[in-house]
Amino acid sequence: MSFEHLRTWRRLSLLASDALDAAEGERALTHVAACSRCAAELQSLRGALAQLLRDPARTAEPQVGVDLLVQRTHARIERASTATAVVSGWRVAWVPVAAAALLALVVRVAGPARSPEAVGTRAGANAADRVAVSDEALRRLERTVEREQAARYLNDAEAVLVTVAAAPHHCDRNHETVDMAEERRRSRELLTRRALLVDIDSEGIRSVRPVLEDVERLLRQVATLDACAKPEELLAIHEELRDRRLLMKIDLMTRELLG
Amino acid sequence: MPLSDRELMQRLASGDREALSPLMERHSKRVYRIALSYLRDADDALDAVQDTFVKAFQNAARWDPASEVAPWLMRIAVNHSIDQYRRGKRRGVHHTPLVDGDHDERIAAQEVSPERHAQGRELGEKIARALETLPEGHRAVFVLRHYDGMSLEEISGTLKLSLGTVKSSLHRATHRLRERLAELAP
Repeated sequence: MSFEHLRTWRRLSLLASDALDAAEGERALTHVAACSRCAAELQSLRGALAQLLRDPARTAEPQVGVDLLVQRTHARIERASTATAVVSGWRVAWVPVAAAALLALVVRVAGPARSPEAVGTRAGANAADRVAVSDEALRRLERTVEREQAARYLNDAEAVLVTVAAAPHHCDRNHETVDMAEERRRSRELLTRRALLVDIDSEGIRSVRPVLEDVERLLRQVATLDACAKPEELLAIHEELRDRRLLMKIDLMTRELLG
Repeated sequence: MPLSDRELMQRLASGDREALSPLMERHSKRVYRIALSYLRDADDALDAVQDTFVKAFQNAARWDPASEVAPWLMRIAVNHSIDQYRRGKRRGVHHTPLVDGDHDERIAAQEVSPERHAQGRELGEKIARALETLPEGHRAVFVLRHYDGMSLEEISGTLKLSLGTVKSSLHRATHRLRERLAELAP
């Protein structure tokens, strides 16, 4: 078997795909003309490609005009930027809360130091009133933010657990392992987010604490799976999801949190 | 004189959304076909077109002005389509395969005969099943070559793969598809 034959043989699929440059293509065709085995292989590859190239998707056109597509795309950009603003708003909501808390602290500490004899005076009473109002507003704001953060966390956790419970995408042809790379990554992200933004012991979210604990335990299990996990490793997660009716509870608790 | 793709991208990067319209006019059909080859559903492919251009707008500032616009857009389209395809697969979504002419209304209007419709449906299903068996990298190379008509060098630039990897991926994809089609033959 000559070098030229091997060289051409390896390039037959590219020749069939019209993917060789002119000189390479000519050289390969010269060999094929004198090699019946290569000619048969080339014909077979071209036959298979001809079938594939009849795929309607190759020539399909969008069923809507480009103007409508542009309009819809603009609408999606609007929605995406609004959603980003809301998420950013949640994230930065702690900034005014922290600032208000700091201010309240400063007022409490600095107030008596400036005029200790003023206790009981009208000015002192006004200052005390202002601090009391700020504290109440602060508590309400904190509670609202806590509940929104918890609801959002539960919502995102549900999305991860739904895909874990759904028909799996196998990593290999023999269906011996299941692709869990994305779920694993998202679970880790969520656990970090929970630790940063959702205080499981907080008064404002006490009623959903059992669900938060169940969700956290399952996310930890998903986070420790291999990227290509064995199906039996998922069984325990599936069973727990089903037995505890966790997805349903997440729905209910999310609604409760958002009022 | 119409603005070039590069000029439009620069406008997009500076937040000018109006630049989307001419870019979509030029590239949405290509994006649609790439998405359709993965998702096999006309509505999902339309969604993918819109999402591709949303991502293009959101990431326009990261586009390298020295590079071509079309390969950058096609790369977004391929990645988005792969992502959507994986999600659909995990959720067990099964789409009716594409047929020549695509829509039942056309059959009703006698534009496509029922026989041709059935044949196209069978062929679409067969091709979808064959394509599904390809590893993602091989599939992306095959789709860009045979659905989008890119040269190997363009595919290499679009997918950020070496030319050698593109050639071997196309070679393997072609052989795998031939085997798969033979297995699926009635």
